[in-house]
Amino acid sequence: MTGTAVFFQQLVNGLSLGAMYSLLALGFTLVYGILELINFAHFNVFMVGAFVGLIVLQWFGLQGQSVVLHGAPLVLSLLAALAVTMVASGVLGVVIERYTLRPMRNVRGPMAMITTIGVSYILFNLVLLLTNAQALNYPDPMPSIDYHLGGVTIRLKAVIIWIVAAVLMWGLNLFVRRSRLGKAMRAVAQDAEAARMMGVEVDQVVMIAFFAGSALAGAAGMIFGLYYNFTQYSIGYTAGLRAFTAAVLGGIGNVPGAMVGGLLIGLIETISSQYIATKWADVIIFSILILTLVFRPAGLLGAQSPNRS
Amino acid sequence: MKRLALLSPRQRQALFAALLMVLLLLPFLGIGQANIDVAANSCAYAALALGLNIVVGFTGLLDLGYAAFFAIGAYAYGILNSFQLHPHWSAAWAPLAAIGFVAKLGAGAAATVHFTFPFWLMLPASAVIAACFGMAFGAPTLRLKGDYLAIVTLGFGEIVPIVARNWSSLTNGAEGLNGVGPPVLLGYRFGINATPYYYVGLGLVLLLLFISLRLKPSRIGRAWMAVREDEIAAGAMGVHTTRLKLLAFAMGAGFAGMTGTFYIAKLQTATPDMFDLPVSIMVLVMIVLGGLASVWGAILGAVLLELLQAWFLPALSGWVQGLGNAIHSPFLQNLQLTSASELIFGIILVTMMLYRRDGLVPVGRNEVRLSYEQQDAAVSRGAAPAVARLRAGLAEAATDARPAVLEIRDLTVKFGGLTALKSISLDVPAGSIVAVIGPNGSGKSTLFNSITGLVKPSAGVVRFAGRDLLGLRPDQVLRAGVARTFQNIRLFPNLTVMENVLIGQHSHLSAGAAGAVLGLPRVRAEEREARQFVLELLAMFGNRLVPRIDQGVAQLSYANRRRVEIARALASRPRLLMLDEPTAGMNPAESLELAEQIAAFRDFGLTILLVEHKLDVVTRLADNVIVLDHGEKLAEGRAEEVRRNEAVIEAYIGRGAVDA
Amino acid sequence: MPEETLLEFAGVHTHYGDLHVLKGVDYTVARDDIVVLLGGNASGKSTTMKTIMGTVTPSQGEVRFRGTPINRLSTSERVKRGIAPVLEARRLFPRMTVYENLEMGAYTRKRGPDFDEDLERVYELFPRVKERRHQLAGTLSGGEQQMVAIGRALMARPALICMDEPSMGLSPRFVEIVFGIIQTINRQGVAIFMVEQNAHMALQIASRGYVLQTGRVVLSGPAADLAANPAIREAYLGELQVEDN
Repeated sequence: MTGTAVFFQQLVNGLSLGAMYSLLALGFTLVYGILELINFAHFNVFMVGAFVGLIVLQWFGLQGQSVVLHGAPLVLSLLAALAVTMVASGVLGVVIERYTLRPMRNVRGPMAMITTIGVSYILFNLVLLLTNAQALNYPDPMPSIDYHLGGVTIRLKAVIIWIVAAVLMWGLNLFVRRSRLGKAMRAVAQDAEAARMMGVEVDQVVMIAFFAGSALAGAAGMIFGLYYNFTQYSIGYTAGLRAFTAAVLGGIGNVPGAMVGGLLIGLIETISSQYIATKWADVIIFSILILTLVFRPAGLLGAQSPNRS
Repeated sequence: MKRLALLSPRQRQALFAALLMVLLLLPFLGIGQANIDVAANSCAYAALALGLNIVVGFTGLLDLGYAAFFAIGAYAYGILNSFQLHPHWSAAWAPLAAIGFVAKLGAGAAATVHFTFPFWLMLPASAVIAACFGMAFGAPTLRLKGDYLAIVTLGFGEIVPIVARNWSSLTNGAEGLNGVGPPVLLGYRFGINATPYYYVGLGLVLLLLFISLRLKPSRIGRAWMAVREDEIAAGAMGVHTTRLKLLAFAMGAGFAGMTGTFYIAKLQTATPDMFDLPVSIMVLVMIVLGGLASVWGAILGAVLLELLQAWFLPALSGWVQGLGNAIHSPFLQNLQLTSASELIFGIILVTMMLYRRDGLVPVGRNEVRLSYEQQDAAVSRGAAPAVARLRAGLAEAATDARPAVLEIRDLTVKFGGLTALKSISLDVPAGSIVAVIGPNGSGKSTLFNSITGLVKPSAGVVRFAGRDLLGLRPDQVLRAGVARTFQNIRLFPNLTVMENVLIGQHSHLSAGAAGAVLGLPRVRAEEREARQFVLELLAMFGNRLVPRIDQGVAQLSYANRRRVEIARALASRPRLLMLDEPTAGMNPAESLELAEQIAAFRDFGLTILLVEHKLDVVTRLADNVIVLDHGEKLAEGRAEEVRRNEAVIEAYIGRGAVDA
Repeated sequence: MPEETLLEFAGVHTHYGDLHVLKGVDYTVARDDIVVLLGGNASGKSTTMKTIMGTVTPSQGEVRFRGTPINRLSTSERVKRGIAPVLEARRLFPRMTVYENLEMGAYTRKRGPDFDEDLERVYELFPRVKERRHQLAGTLSGGEQQMVAIGRALMARPALICMDEPSMGLSPRFVEIVFGIIQTINRQGVAIFMVEQNAHMALQIASRGYVLQTGRVVLSGPAADLAANPAIREAYLGELQVEDN
């Protein structure tokens, strides 16, 4: 492979990772935009999502990595699995919000954040115990078709991931921009008190933000499984921190920002692994997190968090 | 636990002495090596918890990378007392060898250096090293809002173990440091016996406990809590908030660094995974369980968590497996509850946050109910002592500074496209009361905020006693002799009346962390004096505040909160007092009473700038009145003149008022 | 005439924690009223507004709307029943367009032909708002924002609009315009309850008024009487020396 080809290959790989981080980052941004809360539980909603996806795919008879589907059965089973995973993860997010975070809504200081850490820890350790800390193989139902473009290989799997992520993000953007509830969500983010006075049920809006964010995290979890062909109790932490970095980099509270930030982090991860060393990738990403917060806390696209006076 | 608070200090001392005696004799109670080891580990946990309690509990900064400082302290000792580094021997090492910090291994050209820095030196040194890392890391990040800070610390907590894993030449990577030397005391080399480590650990905990208990009610501890309660108000009361946060962060890091050295000396090995995120979370669970900001709670939480892991879970696993054997359930037979400890941590965090946010040992606050006599006691004024002291302060300031004149020239403030103040000029002559009036939204509070450094004006000059105030931080403005109150009252809600007013004296007290810990006579005297002054200040308000001195301010009435805020501002011995609607929320009698008091402040020499809505208060008090409207000065003059000014009446009272 | 009564406070007390704010107040607003509430800062005016909108619940006493108690109703239920707010300092959604802000006003209603009708009505009342409908609300001037805020309240098709200091921060010319609009809206059949500092201007257009002081109503009556009452000036500008028990 030539030097340029290597670079472009890493771009392609980074795009797949970035798509996953973007989906995950959106959940952080939606919740932060509305509640100004960093939701650490989100890390492991993603991880649980990966397991839910696995279970659903296995229901469809996709045991192990030997079963390969084509055409309509492939598309339908993937879509169905994705839908079930997203709904299940969304419900998990809503349950977490309703029973552990709503009571903390008006408590000052780091209390609510500490609660999300506790929830995250519970999810993490429950899965650890239930799976005996083992990594589980993920089905790989997509035929291994490669497209070659110059020296760059693009796998069918990657293309599917891009399409799924693009459609989901487009859908979310449309929801937030156009729908009645989406507008209510933006209104609450900009001025919760005024929105409440317009008759917006803030609790309902918060619930929807958690549902949407967690559903996207579930989708990201399934993408993780399909991309890496495994899932494990520990995947939430690293991916979650990267996605959070992505949300901050794009400007936390900013929906397009989360998408752009996710892609950037994906690219930075693959490219720095290629040119520096995998073992330092985390250090580079966390340094970006810290530097962004210190020098440009509003992120690249500017934070849309409400200006509280 | 509430009962403990009811014990007299003497009883509490006796209880503590008894407890200490038991702890000292613990290894001789025949509890076995394994349990002494548990006790030693409890000490390490308790030391960690005490450090994090300063950061999270006292100062309200959520630190999720605390284990990083534990790691730094551990590796500092581990690297300097093991075979990990072995540079070639040269004569330059000889002086270090002479004092026993290094040893020469081998001979001739192949000779290498063996680091043998003594444990007792490294214990404090690690505290310093970790604290330096804490400051280097904290300096750029502590400006961030609390929740951002949490995530930055999380990133830092992640980076340190990764560096330890990857920098093999220094740390031996994932395999970890081996053969870390044990402590040596008077020729006695600690071995694998847990007892001596237990005593070192106990000593460490007692030291850190002592430091925490001394700091908490000191000038420094109060300032930390002020930052936690309301950072803006803390700054306005003279607390250099960034520096105080940095101090808390560094001190927490120092505690962790020391503990790291102790822990590694006991274990004689260090691997990167001993310092991963779960450790930071575990320490957080300890202080949440014990009660944030509760010193004894932190220790209790640490001990409970160690016991949970060392005793309770293995025992429970045994019982469950026994049960499984009895009923032939393979699931129960294989259940390993010891690996469920982190699950339990998570459950503890969520449960405590939802149902018992104050922890097992809540920070005691006397919620005294007043007797009827106290409530009904006649308002008697005992202003004289406070006045004497305030006057002395003014005289002192007057000798080395120019007159207390506030001069504002062409002050312009813009928020985005909106101009909140347009080229305002005004003077507050020394010893006078100037009132600023105007409708809501006319720029009065913006004027206050730009004088006190909370808002950055785009142009203009603000000068007090010849000194330029613009560009100063709020705490520097206070030190320049300008104190203020806020329109919507910003007291420190979870602190008592006494503590709130003491924080007002922050800039006049000098006790540092070291002085407070050592309990120097100077510091004790200063603290006694400060408390006396609070009593005197409160006595200015008769019996309204004195009986409530140990109550949390959240329980006070609106009018009393305003009074506490004024007392807090006076506590800083200002030359210029700025009051933002001091009578808002007071009834006529109370307003009148306060107006008289404000007049008295001027009479003993204070300069006063007043924002007020009630014209009769203004008429009664002000030597000069400035009317703002839409950020512009509409009129200026004596109260009676202004009240008759048609433009003013129109802007302020509305059209038609003139004919009414 | 009880059937004419739209909004009623009967002996309402409110508490924030240990803080007693409203100490047994009574107000009535009839169908065609413009009622003005006068009082200093921290006298309980904002709390009154919050109690009407349901973000503060009385600890004692009753709030009735069209004769039914509404103490326990959510804000959105109140908006549905016909109470709409114009908030202090406008409080538009700054990064939404003017049109989206108006949409938010109609949030509790089903979108139908009514919506377009009301939109037309608002545009007719405020041609400026129509011109700016695609602009972000945060970029408008204060006066324009106040128009949008009033338009936003009208989009809920309310029977009663509660206004918190509609003249705050507006230039005298705009204050006059806004007060004119308030009268127009009132003539179209919407009752107005407003908190105002601009006492005389407000009393000129109001039918009745109340003066609030540290949580108690110390003076009330027809606006013309209040305006003629020499005590009102003291009452509002300073303190009325009323027995405070």
